[in-house]
Amino acid sequence: MDLVDDIKPAQELIVALQKAKKNLRMYPVNNPVYARTIEETYRKFEEFLEQQGDFELRVRQNEIFLGEHAIYQAVDKDDNLAFFFFKDGVRTLAFKRGLAMDELREFLQAISFDFERQGNDEDVVTLLWEKDFDHIKYAVDENFLLEDEVYESEATTHAKVEMTEQSELKKAYEEVLKEEFEHREIEVMPITNADLIELVNQIENDSSDKARKFTGILFELFQTASPAEYPEIAELVRDSFEYSVRSGDLLSAVHMLEEARKKINESTPDLLKKNLEMLFVFASSQNIIKMLGEHLDSGLITEDGVFADYVQHLDKEAISSFISILGELKTIEARKILINALAFLGNKDIQALARGLSDPRWYVVRNIIYIFRKIGDRRAVEFLVRAVNHSDTRVRMEVLRALGELGGQGVVQTLKEALGDPEPSIRTTAARALGRIRTEAAKKIMLQKVSDKGLGNLDMNEKKEYFEVLANWNNEEVIDFLMKTLKATSFFKKARRDELKACAAYTLGLLGHKEALSHLQKLRGSKNRLLSEYAYNAIKRIEYGN
Amino acid sequence: MGISRQSALLSKDVVNQMAVIVRTSQIHNPTNIAVATSVEKFVLMVNGLIFEEGPVELELIGEYFYLNGERVKFSMEYLLNFDFLQREFKKRSLGRLKFNCEIKPEDVQAFLASFIACQFSADPFEELSAGLEHIKCMETGGLRRISEEAEHDLRKTVKRTYFNAVSFARGVMNKIKTGERVNIKKAKRIVESMVDTLLDKEEFLLGMTAIKNYDEYTFHHSVNVSILSIALGQKIGLGKKALMELGLVALFHDIGKTEIPPEVLNKPSSFTPEEWEIMKKHSAAGVKAICRMKSFDYSSIRSAIVSYEHHIHDGSTGYPKAMRISELDLFSRIVSVADQYDGMTSSRVYSRTPMSPDKALSIMLGRSGTQLDPLLLKFFVNLVGVYPVGSVVMLDTRELGIVSGVNSANFVRPKVTVITDSMGNKTAPYVADLAEKNASGVYVRSIKRALDPVKFKINIAEYLL
Repeated sequence: MDLVDDIKPAQELIVALQKAKKNLRMYPVNNPVYARTIEETYRKFEEFLEQQGDFELRVRQNEIFLGEHAIYQAVDKDDNLAFFFFKDGVRTLAFKRGLAMDELREFLQAISFDFERQGNDEDVVTLLWEKDFDHIKYAVDENFLLEDEVYESEATTHAKVEMTEQSELKKAYEEVLKEEFEHREIEVMPITNADLIELVNQIENDSSDKARKFTGILFELFQTASPAEYPEIAELVRDSFEYSVRSGDLLSAVHMLEEARKKINESTPDLLKKNLEMLFVFASSQNIIKMLGEHLDSGLITEDGVFADYVQHLDKEAISSFISILGELKTIEARKILINALAFLGNKDIQALARGLSDPRWYVVRNIIYIFRKIGDRRAVEFLVRAVNHSDTRVRMEVLRALGELGGQGVVQTLKEALGDPEPSIRTTAARALGRIRTEAAKKIMLQKVSDKGLGNLDMNEKKEYFEVLANWNNEEVIDFLMKTLKATSFFKKARRDELKACAAYTLGLLGHKEALSHLQKLRGSKNRLLSEYAYNAIKRIEYGN
Repeated sequence: MGISRQSALLSKDVVNQMAVIVRTSQIHNPTNIAVATSVEKFVLMVNGLIFEEGPVELELIGEYFYLNGERVKFSMEYLLNFDFLQREFKKRSLGRLKFNCEIKPEDVQAFLASFIACQFSADPFEELSAGLEHIKCMETGGLRRISEEAEHDLRKTVKRTYFNAVSFARGVMNKIKTGERVNIKKAKRIVESMVDTLLDKEEFLLGMTAIKNYDEYTFHHSVNVSILSIALGQKIGLGKKALMELGLVALFHDIGKTEIPPEVLNKPSSFTPEEWEIMKKHSAAGVKAICRMKSFDYSSIRSAIVSYEHHIHDGSTGYPKAMRISELDLFSRIVSVADQYDGMTSSRVYSRTPMSPDKALSIMLGRSGTQLDPLLLKFFVNLVGVYPVGSVVMLDTRELGIVSGVNSANFVRPKVTVITDSMGNKTAPYVADLAEKNASGVYVRSIKRALDPVKFKINIAEYLL
């Protein structure tokens, strides 16, 4: 076997390491590629250890050696595996037989850590050190940790400069022999099981929320600080707040907001109040809301009341930040949570929420309209009617639904116009909206619609929708119209007439109108299957209530 | 050597079970059912390991057990048994126990009988080995003594670790004053090397804390508190990562002193009440300094908490006057113990006369339950011993010495660097192990009393560095 064949498996191992380092950074933990990469890399290590036994890699600035052979060489610093280890001081990396998949996973996770992330205080040696692997060992050159090369020798010389004088020593020695001896017995009590149990309890209790404790300290600092110190402490509060949000610890963030809220009262000095209030502005800022969005998507934050508690403390400035992330969220659950939040906040400022109606993303606009529906505030109507001509049908439908729920002036006319829309889904949605309004004016429009000559040309389902809407008015005028339709006779366009009769039968069934039973019985024997079936169902509904 | 991951997991159970059989056989006769049952369990475990790994060697090096060369890692529930077993090994100078082939319960019972019988012997290890000669599967070895050369190298490494940490602490303080960012990656690496040094050569690094530097008190103190805190943390069973976090927060516990005007901080006489009030502000100032010196993260929170709390005592006395601190943080309580001990045993600008370590401990014990956590203090005393490193002692031979190493198996018998002859004349220093006995089984030297180093104007650094 020549040299190339000899070192090939080792080279492949390094390639696998590099690939794993890349993949683990690129794919989330739950992605199949992530797991597959670990398994494949492990298989390579397992095979190599099986064949070669324990091995040690020597790391140089741009090279990695196995024994005397360079198995990896890189030319520049980018994507350079050797330099990645070298720059933090790693000089050898040893892998031993018995290496487990979990160990290798942790090793790969350590080397694929995002060291460039802002605010990161880790290096690869610290991560490896913390893992304390059994089968992966490394040696580090600690020289670059030296702060001051001459400090040690200077400090040693300085410490030894005052040598113990023989004469002083002798004098004191003799004095001590004459002295009364003050006996200080230190009793070393053996550690007992009870001590250990107490210690375990203390350690377990100690793991409780540090962020909350820190918040307490920061607010105590306000208590004793001079006004000149307020801005600095307020900044610390915001840093701590941002950290809590960044790490998904919404409970601590809410706690901070609650504490700040408690501190603001009539007796709070203006300057302090101003500094405290800045936290609420910060909590509503785009940067923070963006982080919340990421956590919502990742499932780290769920709708468990904590998020709602958080939103309670936000001001209306948060609305625009929330709207901007609404369209970016990937999961339905996250969008639901955000919609609830916007429904709460939008109530505080309808106008701010209405700005979302101009968002270029149709689905965001639809969500905003849905939020207006949730809020149920008629002040929204003036903004909604402007969206009724939106280019996307789905948005227009949502507007009509909202208008139907909100009602109010101007709505009926808008809905009436929508009944003439060329798009059937818009027409039926407008009809349903009118039915929801249930005013006399709405009834008239609907009776007009169902009496319209052109109705016969429409699809049966659409006709049925209109007749169904009529069931919202259980009164004489509607019943008369329905009965007339039911009884109407004509030899022309019989099939279309029968469809209208079927619709009327259906609506009378919905209304439970017993007087219609005799006519319905007659129609049950109709040769038109559709009419016969609708009549039968209507009878059943009137007689049995279903 | 080296063992599989599965065997590594089992190794802690083997050590634990060994502690159980030793403990049980100290109470009961080896034939007792309680002993027999636990011996059977031990035999099963050891034979399981032999099946997997071949011969199994358990070795005690320093404070740790190693199984086939791998340090046996254990969690807190094993702490007591591990501690007990290492003391029992040390009492008998037993350092190594090797199982060459499968063992039988009778072998273990014979071992236990010898192990119990030899503890009061003049040469327990010799007696134990003789008692095991007929057991072919088991082999013993004495506690490994580090050669002078190796010890010299170790001390050099420890010294370097220590002074590098002090130098770093000095750099941090200066950077804080000038508003520069502190390199936390470096801080972590320095603390990691202190943790490693403590895990390997605890007494050497603890010894370094006994060398006090008046001029650079603040920096030495920060490092000393960090070392003592890590050592205490290790004693209570904290894991490596937690020890690093603890060491880091301890290193920064007094960082708020950078905010104290130098004329107050360096005042050579006692403080006026007003100056005390200024000094007391360093705890709160530390919170701000910590948050400023690095990007905000979990370690900022932990460091800031400790900085704020390390002078608050249980019952909310101390300072700052905390209104809502319900329970002090574990790290704060640990640092508080280390801080008081190092503070009292150092000469500071406002109190130039340091206390002897034993006097400091005695005062601290008086504060147990009021200023200091009683349980942690108990562990601390178990760590530093009756005569902590740096204590000046008079021996029954009328020689003077400086305690240079703690004997956790027998606290009144530490290692002592003898510095005078029996007439009080200065001699070339040498280390005497007070656990050493003569041919008749009588201790060669014993401590008669602890002395005040200030009275003798003894520069401890001269002997420990």
